Amino acid sequence: MKLRVAGGRSLRSRVAGTVALAACAWLLPYRLDTYMIHVANVVILFAILAVGLGLVMGIAGQINLAQIAFAGVAAYATAILTTRAGFGFWTAALLAILIASAMGLLVGMPALRMQSHYLGIVTLGLALAFTNWVTNAHVAGGAEGISGIPAPELPFVDLRNDYFFYYVELIVFAVTLAFGLFVVHTPLGRKMRAMRDDSLAAGAVGVEVPQLRMTAFLLSSVYGGVAGVFYAGLIRYVAPETFSIANMFLLLAMVIIGGRQSLVGCVVGAVALSLLREVLVDYPTYAQVAYGSIVVLTVVFVPTGLAGLPKRGRALLRRIGWLRSERGVVPRLGAFRPYAEEPPRNRGNILRLADVTMRFRGLTALQDVSLEVAAGEIRGIVGPNGSGKTTLFNVVSGLYRPTSGRVLLGERDMTGLRPHVLARHGVARTFQNLRLFPLLSVRENVLVALDQTSVLGAWRYAVWQPGVWRHNRALRAQADELLDRFGLTAFADSAPGELPYGTQRRVEIARAMARRPRILLLDEPAAGLNGDEVRELRDITRSIRSSGVTVVIIEHNMGLVMSLCERVTVFASGRIIADGTPAEVARSPQVVEAYLGDSAMSEDVPTEASR
Amino acid sequence: MQVFLQTFIGGVSLGAIYALVAMGFSLVFRTMGLVNFSHGNVVMIGAYIASTFYLSAKLPFALAMAVAIVVTGLIGVFIERVLRPLENKDFDLMLIGTIGFGIVLEAVAIIIWGATGTAVPNPVAVAPVQVFGLRVRTYDLVVLAIATAATLLLVFFLQRTKRGAAMQAVAMDHEAATAVGIHVGRSNAIAFMLGAALAALAGGLVGPLLYVNPSMGGTLGIKGFAGAILGGFGSIPGAIVGGIAIGVLDAFAAGHFQGYSELVTFVVFTVIIMIRPTGIFGERTVNRA
Repeated sequence: MKLRVAGGRSLRSRVAGTVALAACAWLLPYRLDTYMIHVANVVILFAILAVGLGLVMGIAGQINLAQIAFAGVAAYATAILTTRAGFGFWTAALLAILIASAMGLLVGMPALRMQSHYLGIVTLGLALAFTNWVTNAHVAGGAEGISGIPAPELPFVDLRNDYFFYYVELIVFAVTLAFGLFVVHTPLGRKMRAMRDDSLAAGAVGVEVPQLRMTAFLLSSVYGGVAGVFYAGLIRYVAPETFSIANMFLLLAMVIIGGRQSLVGCVVGAVALSLLREVLVDYPTYAQVAYGSIVVLTVVFVPTGLAGLPKRGRALLRRIGWLRSERGVVPRLGAFRPYAEEPPRNRGNILRLADVTMRFRGLTALQDVSLEVAAGEIRGIVGPNGSGKTTLFNVVSGLYRPTSGRVLLGERDMTGLRPHVLARHGVARTFQNLRLFPLLSVRENVLVALDQTSVLGAWRYAVWQPGVWRHNRALRAQADELLDRFGLTAFADSAPGELPYGTQRRVEIARAMARRPRILLLDEPAAGLNGDEVRELRDITRSIRSSGVTVVIIEHNMGLVMSLCERVTVFASGRIIADGTPAEVARSPQVVEAYLGDSAMSEDVPTEASR
Repeated sequence: MQVFLQTFIGGVSLGAIYALVAMGFSLVFRTMGLVNFSHGNVVMIGAYIASTFYLSAKLPFALAMAVAIVVTGLIGVFIERVLRPLENKDFDLMLIGTIGFGIVLEAVAIIIWGATGTAVPNPVAVAPVQVFGLRVRTYDLVVLAIATAATLLLVFFLQRTKRGAAMQAVAMDHEAATAVGIHVGRSNAIAFMLGAALAALAGGLVGPLLYVNPSMGGTLGIKGFAGAILGGFGSIPGAIVGGIAIGVLDAFAAGHFQGYSELVTFVVFTVIIMIRPTGIFGERTVNRA
């Protein structure tokens, strides 16, 4: 609730700014001649396209060079359906948007299996294939294109008039932008941003990365489709060169210069570059040199684009002392509030590995590892660096598919399932090198993990937005409860990178616990922590276990392992060399040998911090 | 059968040029993990410079090529220098930066040489040779010979010279390479320069086969890139096999589907890459996660 008060003023100024801008946009046609209103109409279409591209590239992090082609598909579909098949404009438009979204799913399909640069070339290739098809196909009119598309009809207004068309476009633009912003700030967009920041960690907290990538492409193709349909209605003529790669790169430049991670920035970029192009309309090649150079300068010097300038400006002013520092008091980490005690939800063994072997080309990281973890225990995994501990976690959490052997969770065989499936079956983990989503706030980091709905449920966005909003509100309440339990309330709105290292570690544990997992895998949670923080970690881990969650912990801090774990498994060179209570393991000759070498037999094997 | 073989040989010749383009892509990718989207436009600039010096300055073809290689090499070094602050940080941004360079290069070509293209006459004015009853253009043989020589030189450089070994080391682990005293920035610059030189070679050779025009960079670049991915991105043998495969695919698509050849080529490419994303030889990933 504190946030509401603090955010009140900026919210009010934001609303005022939006209203002022809307009023300007509404009054703009009174100042424009017939040529300029036509330009304005084209600019709005570019803005809609840019929002769509911003969603897939800036928000979801998927390179898409087929956005113009999506618009082309819809524009051509409208043209063909109206002139050749005799459909009315709006029927054709609806069908055209459906066809464009089908193309979006088709183009997005490679994204199920491949990453950025592959996606760049595949989408570019398919876009070229599209222009190649329309320049040759008889039905698409060949190089001459299709003319004589009927103007869209509405009661009372004549849309052949560019001034009326402007208002229709303006409303459509406002709706699409608002919808885009709604997506960004609700669970779907949050998952996309998490995937963009770190797709591995997103998978580990249960985000269905492949389906989400497809959804992003689908979303951007709908935006492309809307822009394409209105293009056909505005110009009433379509030709191949409108949807060429050159225009795709222009659109890309708009999004990059405006700031791809902000939808408003994308719009600003679209308007700015369109105006630049209009000023240099008699020198199109020089305009091309200009915007190409600006793209290069932007990526090198202002990667966040125009949208990032206010923040940079404020930081600069603060540095030279013109602006006061934001917060006077340094926020402090609160105390952890223990979970209520509960018996473990499973009996017997919760995790069983049977003869798991993991090979990377020549290197064998795990060799015939068999391991059983009983429900409700805290199991320690120790061993020298490079002995296969983290590989074990990667196999259990689904990042690696073992070369041979089986992984069972309870009674179910989970071998080789994708990370998000395992996360949904109750496996949670932290990472040795911290994998928080850097551009999401601490609260959002937790929110991504809290949301249990599937990506397939995204149809709700198209049908019932208030439901989505309410779901989001409920999630926020849960997130605040969780942050309060872990004493992180003061940091809820901070970026993870601004926090002290120990606090970041705690955020990662809170994020892992958001899903109420059955088994929690902690990978060196004490690394980099000071003495107090290690003690707090011990309390947190004990409380997590008492709440019914089984904990497996990789740790080099022997003091922590000895005092926390009921059983300890020792790894060396990819094999288990000892397994038992801490005291038994510490006496085992193999362990002593692995740690100290066989000549240095000693009674006091590390019981205090060895690192 | 006659037609089949004839088409095949035409495809291999064009494919050899795609392979040169693909090697340029792969060399830069394996060294610094960057996909250079301006590569196709560098090919185009190379083609223009070679043809200008060959046609207007009346230099011998080989000398005109040498000039083109030097100029594009410098362009490559320049691109690398400008984008260096992003190296090992954000590969997507760097990729977009190279797209920006591509846009500029294409516009500059239009400003210097105009929007219309130039036809380059065949520099090897010898009648086609007959091999087993097939007519093979002598120029095709020249292209194949030069492409083979360039590949051998590149492999020799990478595997037998100290600088080449240093580049391989950077490709495997740039931090470890820095630790043993290799200048990573310089190594990346060399990769970019060599990539650009290969591009100029491809551009100069492709001039007499195609029409030299400002937008040729897009098509050549994408096909070379497709070849690189098809063979396994980052692998030199992969680039050769992939490039030639795309050339042959292209030639047959042009024969059977005429105007739709590009459509067919890209759809086939997409399907193959979806079935086997790492390509024929597997990606030489620069794993810097």
